[in-house]
Amino acid sequence: MSSPSTALGVGGTTRRQPRSRRASRLADLFARWGFMTPAAVLLVATLAYPIGYTVWISFAELNLGTFAPDEWVGWDNYLTAIEDERFWDSLAVTGTYLVFAMPLQMVLGFAIAFLINAQWKGRGVVRALFLIPMVIAPVIAGGIWRMLLDPLWGVANYLLGGIGLGPIDWLGDPFWAMFTVILIDTWRWTPFVVLIASAALLSLPRDVFEAAAIDGANWWNMLWRITLPLLVPVIAAVFVVRWLGAVKMFDIALAATHGGPGRATSVVNLFIYEEAFRSLKFAESAAMSIIVLVLTMALTAVFLRGSRYLEERH
Amino acid sequence: MTGATLAPRRPSRRPANHRRRAAILRQARIWSGVLVCVLFLLPIAWMVLTSLKLQRDIFTTPPTLFFTPTLETYYNYLWHNDLPARMLNTVIVACGAGLISIVAGAMAGYALARVKLRGAATIGILILLSRGVPPIALAVPMFLVARNMGLLDKHITLILAYCTFLIPYVMWLMRGFFKALPDELEEAAKIDGCSRFGAFFRIILPISLPGLLSTLIFSIILAWEELLFALVLTNRAASTVPVVISGIAGDTVNGANWGALTAVGTMTMIPVVIFALLVQKWLIQGLADGATKG
Repeated sequence: MSSPSTALGVGGTTRRQPRSRRASRLADLFARWGFMTPAAVLLVATLAYPIGYTVWISFAELNLGTFAPDEWVGWDNYLTAIEDERFWDSLAVTGTYLVFAMPLQMVLGFAIAFLINAQWKGRGVVRALFLIPMVIAPVIAGGIWRMLLDPLWGVANYLLGGIGLGPIDWLGDPFWAMFTVILIDTWRWTPFVVLIASAALLSLPRDVFEAAAIDGANWWNMLWRITLPLLVPVIAAVFVVRWLGAVKMFDIALAATHGGPGRATSVVNLFIYEEAFRSLKFAESAAMSIIVLVLTMALTAVFLRGSRYLEERH
Repeated sequence: MTGATLAPRRPSRRPANHRRRAAILRQARIWSGVLVCVLFLLPIAWMVLTSLKLQRDIFTTPPTLFFTPTLETYYNYLWHNDLPARMLNTVIVACGAGLISIVAGAMAGYALARVKLRGAATIGILILLSRGVPPIALAVPMFLVARNMGLLDKHITLILAYCTFLIPYVMWLMRGFFKALPDELEEAAKIDGCSRFGAFFRIILPISLPGLLSTLIFSIILAWEELLFALVLTNRAASTVPVVISGIAGDTVNGANWGALTAVGTMTMIPVVIFALLVQKWLIQGLADGATKG
């Protein structure tokens, strides 16, 4: 990978004639951009090109005989998508999931981190075990929880029955199905937040807390006036990471509820998947995925800006 | 939060009392940590337990806790659904995608962190943005292009598809990692007559090995469990285990086959968990850095 010309570039060539100095500068430029080349080539081929292709299909009619776009139809596919109320429903489902799941995971994760924040011998083991839920494949997570929450044979309803509750129709009732999807996602991702929050808590400066304790600050004041403000950059960063993962929600909804009952948990990724690969409406799904892409990009940009701002201010 | 409310509200008058309270608080924190951890692991324990049951022990009310463990389900389902072949596919695809991404991603991450490039900041933002691209916006065109090029159901197609999210991920993590290294490293390398590439491969990479390794392992795990692209781009020859699992979990015709689900799930989980635990220290560090170092 490192060609001889670039190897010459940095070394002793600078003292020779100006022509070779220019050549060496060129070689250095090559060397610098050389690091970027493999990733750039791969990402253009696998990321930029497919997105461009999606844009193209979204303005065309797809010939199902050749599986290639053949007729330019302008904004028709977008109009179809916008008029499709199921598309709006799936966006609303995604929104509901995001609005409940993300704050829940953040609050729960940080609360647990505060709660268990103690140095002891077994800490490393507990920390390692916390990794397990998040490395379990989401499709397995969906499958296990589907089993646990089964209306007839599931352990969850049996245990609830033991304390006089339920039975709850976890997967068959629209409200509880959404609850289930959020529950599974929270189960998988809260440990991630806990791990990062614990690491952040341990790295907080001790003297600030000691000074505050001497000044007679109580626990509640310390939490709101010192700990949380110091943690703002971490909270912002975790939020962004969770957002980047949560907008991709697909596997858990597919494995646990298959978008049901009806379309109650059909998140937008699942809905477009079904439209494209079951109903074979490729052009319409391309238009929908472009709409989703623009929406996510815009929100991602806003969140990144926001988190940058918070990180710099604190 | 019960443990936290035990915290001393006001400085105690008697230090001995204060110390005892602090000790109790500490114990409460430790045990609540253990309890929370156990709660989070219960579903997984139940999966492993169920996978060791016979069919007649699975579907019972109340759920069976004590039974004679058997590997019969593993025995029966190991040869179903071409499971060994699909395991092999998963390994090939996950390792292939992981290796390509770590090479390309680490080099690019290094370029972003340590090499002065015009427009590096813009590229950095683009990469972060690209991590938010919904995979469905790529799956549709990838399917169409792969179909027209005759690349459906091939390992390389899935490997390239996984690069779309792994390369940005690796770039971002490694960028943070390289940024934290001291500047003197490359200067020393330059004085010793190393080229840029030489400095990178002979000096920077070896000392970054822990970070590289944990990033590689996490990338492999991410590829290992990916479902959407695998569903769309493969159907038999290159199909992976998550596809099998989603098939078993979503099988409404034959009803719930929990034995198969839990056995295949456990088999898929074991290598991942072993890997994750082997490098857990670096992994947690990497996760924390990846989330916090911008």
